[in-house]
Amino acid sequence: MSVNPIDLATEQLAPQHEIALPAGRPRGAFRAGAAVFVQNRLAVAGLAVVVLLVLFCFGGPLVYHTNQVDVNLANATLPPGAGHPLGTDETGYDELGRLMVGGRASLTIGFAAALIATLVGTLWGAVSGFFGGLVDAVMMRVVDALLAIPILFLLLYLVTIVRPSVTVMIVVLGLTAWLIPARLVRGESLTLRMREYVQAVRMMGGSSWRSVLRHILPNVAGTVIVNATFQVADAILLIAYLGYLGLGISPPATDWGGMLSKGTNFIFPNYWWLIYPAGILIVLVVVAVNFVGDGLRDAVEVRLRRR
Amino acid sequence: MAGYLLRRVAQALAVVLFVTVIVFILLHQLPGGPARAVLGNRATPLEITQFNQDNGLDRPVPVQYLVYLRHWLTGDFGFSYKLNQPVGALLAQRLPKTLVLNALALVLTIAVAVPVGIYQAVRRNRLFDYVATTLAFICYAAPTFYLGLILVLVFAQKLNVLPPEAPQSDGVVPIFADFRGMILPIVTLALLGIAGFSRYMRSAVLDNLTQDYVRTARSKGCSSSRVLSRHVLRNALIPIATLIGLSLPALFAGALVTESIFNFPGMGLLFWQAAQTSDYPVELGVVLVTAVATVLGNLLADLSYALLDPRVRYA
Amino acid sequence: MIASRWRIGAALTIVALAATGCSTVGSSPGGNPPGKAAGIATFALPPNTVPNWIWPLTPIGNFSVINAGVFQELMYRPLYWFGDSKGGPGLNPDRSLAELPAYSDGGRTVTIKLKPYAWSNGEQVTAANVLFWINMEKAEKANYAGYVPGQFPDNVQSATAVDDSTVVLKLDRAYSEQWFTYNELGQITPMPKAWDVTAPGTPGGCSASMAACPAVYKFLSAQAKDLSTYATNPIWQVVDGPWRLETFKTDGHVAFVPNPKWSGSPKPSLKKVVLAPFTTDAAEFNVLRAGQTLDVGYLPTSDVTQAKPAGEAPDKAGANPLSSRYTLSPLFLYGVNYFPLNFGNPTVGPIFAQLYFRQALQSLVDQKSIITAAAKGYGVPTTGPIPLYPDSPLVSDLERQNPYPFDLDAAKNYLTSHGWNIVPGGTSSCAHPGSGPTECGAGIAAGQKLEFDLQYASGQQTVDTAMQSLKSNAAKVGIQLRTSTAPFNSIIGLAVPCSGSKCTWQLANWGGGWVYAPDYYPTGEDIFGTGAASNVGSYSDKAMDALMRDTTIRSGVEPMQAYEDALARALPVIWQPNYTYSLTEVANGLSGVTPQNPFGTITPEDWHY
Repeated sequence: MSVNPIDLATEQLAPQHEIALPAGRPRGAFRAGAAVFVQNRLAVAGLAVVVLLVLFCFGGPLVYHTNQVDVNLANATLPPGAGHPLGTDETGYDELGRLMVGGRASLTIGFAAALIATLVGTLWGAVSGFFGGLVDAVMMRVVDALLAIPILFLLLYLVTIVRPSVTVMIVVLGLTAWLIPARLVRGESLTLRMREYVQAVRMMGGSSWRSVLRHILPNVAGTVIVNATFQVADAILLIAYLGYLGLGISPPATDWGGMLSKGTNFIFPNYWWLIYPAGILIVLVVVAVNFVGDGLRDAVEVRLRRR
Repeated sequence: MAGYLLRRVAQALAVVLFVTVIVFILLHQLPGGPARAVLGNRATPLEITQFNQDNGLDRPVPVQYLVYLRHWLTGDFGFSYKLNQPVGALLAQRLPKTLVLNALALVLTIAVAVPVGIYQAVRRNRLFDYVATTLAFICYAAPTFYLGLILVLVFAQKLNVLPPEAPQSDGVVPIFADFRGMILPIVTLALLGIAGFSRYMRSAVLDNLTQDYVRTARSKGCSSSRVLSRHVLRNALIPIATLIGLSLPALFAGALVTESIFNFPGMGLLFWQAAQTSDYPVELGVVLVTAVATVLGNLLADLSYALLDPRVRYA
Repeated sequence: MIASRWRIGAALTIVALAATGCSTVGSSPGGNPPGKAAGIATFALPPNTVPNWIWPLTPIGNFSVINAGVFQELMYRPLYWFGDSKGGPGLNPDRSLAELPAYSDGGRTVTIKLKPYAWSNGEQVTAANVLFWINMEKAEKANYAGYVPGQFPDNVQSATAVDDSTVVLKLDRAYSEQWFTYNELGQITPMPKAWDVTAPGTPGGCSASMAACPAVYKFLSAQAKDLSTYATNPIWQVVDGPWRLETFKTDGHVAFVPNPKWSGSPKPSLKKVVLAPFTTDAAEFNVLRAGQTLDVGYLPTSDVTQAKPAGEAPDKAGANPLSSRYTLSPLFLYGVNYFPLNFGNPTVGPIFAQLYFRQALQSLVDQKSIITAAAKGYGVPTTGPIPLYPDSPLVSDLERQNPYPFDLDAAKNYLTSHGWNIVPGGTSSCAHPGSGPTECGAGIAAGQKLEFDLQYASGQQTVDTAMQSLKSNAAKVGIQLRTSTAPFNSIIGLAVPCSGSKCTWQLANWGGGWVYAPDYYPTGEDIFGTGAASNVGSYSDKAMDALMRDTTIRSGVEPMQAYEDALARALPVIWQPNYTYSLTEVANGLSGVTPQNPFGTITPEDWHY
């Protein structure tokens, strides 16, 4: 299972990108960045799609009521028809309602896991890069070692000792995904700590933690945000993959990936309503989030802004 | 440079050891242990005790690890509890197949992604760029287990131009004799890689195209293609080199889903099946191979960086 | 302008990808089996399973339907063969190497007369070969899968070869003839003198004396651990069955060719039998559909396009999506499906110990609907320890009628009549604690809730649906089942006999139940007996133990049905539907594959084009 190669490689690129934003000018930077973002039609479209999907999953059940608790085996795997616009699944649940349930799990896990991974990874990377030397070596070797462990094994281990629920999956995915932001942020903060203003703060007697919090973190914000959006997409895909392997959320809870992987059993009998809706929604949300991430990357990239 | 290499190799060894220690500890924390998983639910307590004794599982965990380490240093990777084969033989059987599949997929990925990415950057924001971007995102977003099955459905069933499974021959050489069966698995794997690599290539070329040295070269009279091939490409390949280095572990670790769909048992399936049956020796053997591949990949990527970018020097 | 171009481009690509995904069931022409021209039959192995143990003295970790019935038994015939000519689970005298055993001396003496069979190296199958096995099993009990403490060969006081073809066993007491023949003598596979060695060419003497067996065991098991030499090692080339190994690859590609020296009948008409391994059933189905390779394959249940009509015979095939090339033949293994309750759990054990609770829980299992919805009709309900299908004279009327059919009202009644306050959709609790006839029962506190953990193995659609259905039905009477999935081996590792505060598992379903092999006579003492290794829930009932003991001691159908009815009523476990082991697809033009053996054994000597 590969991690988003784009993020892995950006770490190496980091020293070449000069983030010329000194700390302390957040408002101007935000407005300029927002302007660039809005110009990017794909990014705006992506954002709109994400918002629509969130509305569909969280607001949909308020409008479209289905029984997602009681199993109804007599109505299993019905094609779309009266009362069930997208048919029913293997246990008789309405498929459209199921997509809303699954979407809540997918989106929640995606965003929350990305948040945890980003927070933990950023802090780890910032501290490691800022202090440098032995601290950096040890912290980064820990990251290297954890990266070398097959992620499947880590996931299998974690899923075996705790029962998989949405919360557990968030923690599990967050804990396995923080390694990449850590590397990225470390690369950036290595460069940043050499900047004059940071050295000035240290000379003036400012504490290291203050430097990390006030100067390093705001300046890596750009990369971090971009990486976070890709983390969302990766988390949703990883949950789908886990569902395929039988390590995902336990029924009756479900997520789009689990629905898709169960659906792939029915390609031959052509139960298309169990396959394509879930698949299309996964592709849609991942593509949309990637477009948003692209737009954010352009917005924080100073060079492009000047063009 | 030599000093740097030595330090990195020492660090790499430390990382590999650390990885094996972590995995070893985690394995032994799993509830139940391998005895019941391997012997099944008809096992009597006598058989379980016998199994634990025969495999040294009743000794303290640190002692077990040291025994393992000693065996590894002599080249003995242990004996699979469930598969009734030496782990070394299993690795020797599966690793070449995985390497062939993944290496060919990587070659295809680079062969397609590099030109596509360059063309996208050069013709930025035109139709080709948008179509390629959208296709890339779709390929990235569609899970492999879905993509693979669709490919089999279309090419092997409906159009009937390719076999539905990978070559079943023993060993690697006969694979090339009956290559048609490898096409679909390689394409399935490559699609995901192409999506990522081409996006990255596009971004890297774009970044370089806006650099000052390009303007300088153009103003000196170099043609676009010369600028592209002589200057931009070399710099834009740096991140690709990194990506290849980072793909090295995957080359060895196998591709679980592709192997399952196309009936091509490789390292991915070996590890997965071992994990499902608590087959510790096999799991540890695969982890060892992957850890070595990872640190090797990192090292090679860093070294290639020095090759491609003269600004990078290692003390 | 740019945006609209993007939209067109994107739309085109999405539509193209989606369209290629839509499929209709295409039928391919022809009914010519792929292997007919060459006289070869290719048999698909179940997903993720390859033969990996050749020596019939199989250790517990390697015992499987595949190793025994699709590998060893083609080459090394067991003394007695199970699976009759109609597909039933009874003993098959024609395929056995010996006549039916004769019991005398009040049942304490067994005389086994061997038929004239030859080994491929010229030896005859003699009584010494049988003693070789018995001595070896005596010496290496812990290393044989079929050994049960206290049973064979512990219950054999002496085994002697009266002449070359007669073995006489003296037992420690009289046993049921059926039980002893099926479950004890059924363990024996005669081994040739060529195997009685401690090194190539050095005789061991295990058939004469048990003391010599450990050295022979060491040698033979070392040979068995060397997979790459299975086809070349002269030891394994000595066979008495219709087939011998031509090639053996560790990845599961195995080829058998006929053994010209086979003494039995029918003689094989095929030139070769090839086993084909598969990673998943999806991979196998893709190959099966292509119709180029497999002569005998299987249809994954999820690819059955149309459910079989209810009420038909279990082995009758429904609509077959591959009918143009293959014939569908459902195969059930002789076994029962269930999941255990942990009587040893200190908190919920007292609730489980109450019969009315188990009756209520069983009444919430809608076996018929699960079979139709999840297994597309290819399943048989389980109502007691004797499988309902394949049918046999052992099945009692009580089992046929099903003492606990699916009935929500009955479930409610069981609980309310014993002092429980039912909260449909919520959690029921004990309103009348105590030990009286209308009270909750001993050890159950006032207000104790009916909420339990139910862990089950992931990856099987039928188990998923069954557990979801149970959870949903149970909620209707206020029983809250906290379901969660885990990999199969986690469940196996979790569901062990235990007691005390660390004994925390409550309900666990590994999705497999029990197949009656090598215990072909379903007397149940291995599963439900007090202290039995496979009695993972620690069920213990003295009266039941006595009934089970009776089935091993007294011959005939009556003790079996007495035990059967008592156990069906007592519900030591929660029964689940028994699904097909395989929806076998046989290429049109290949005959002799059906009726299939209910223990999963294949007999390719019967197959012909």
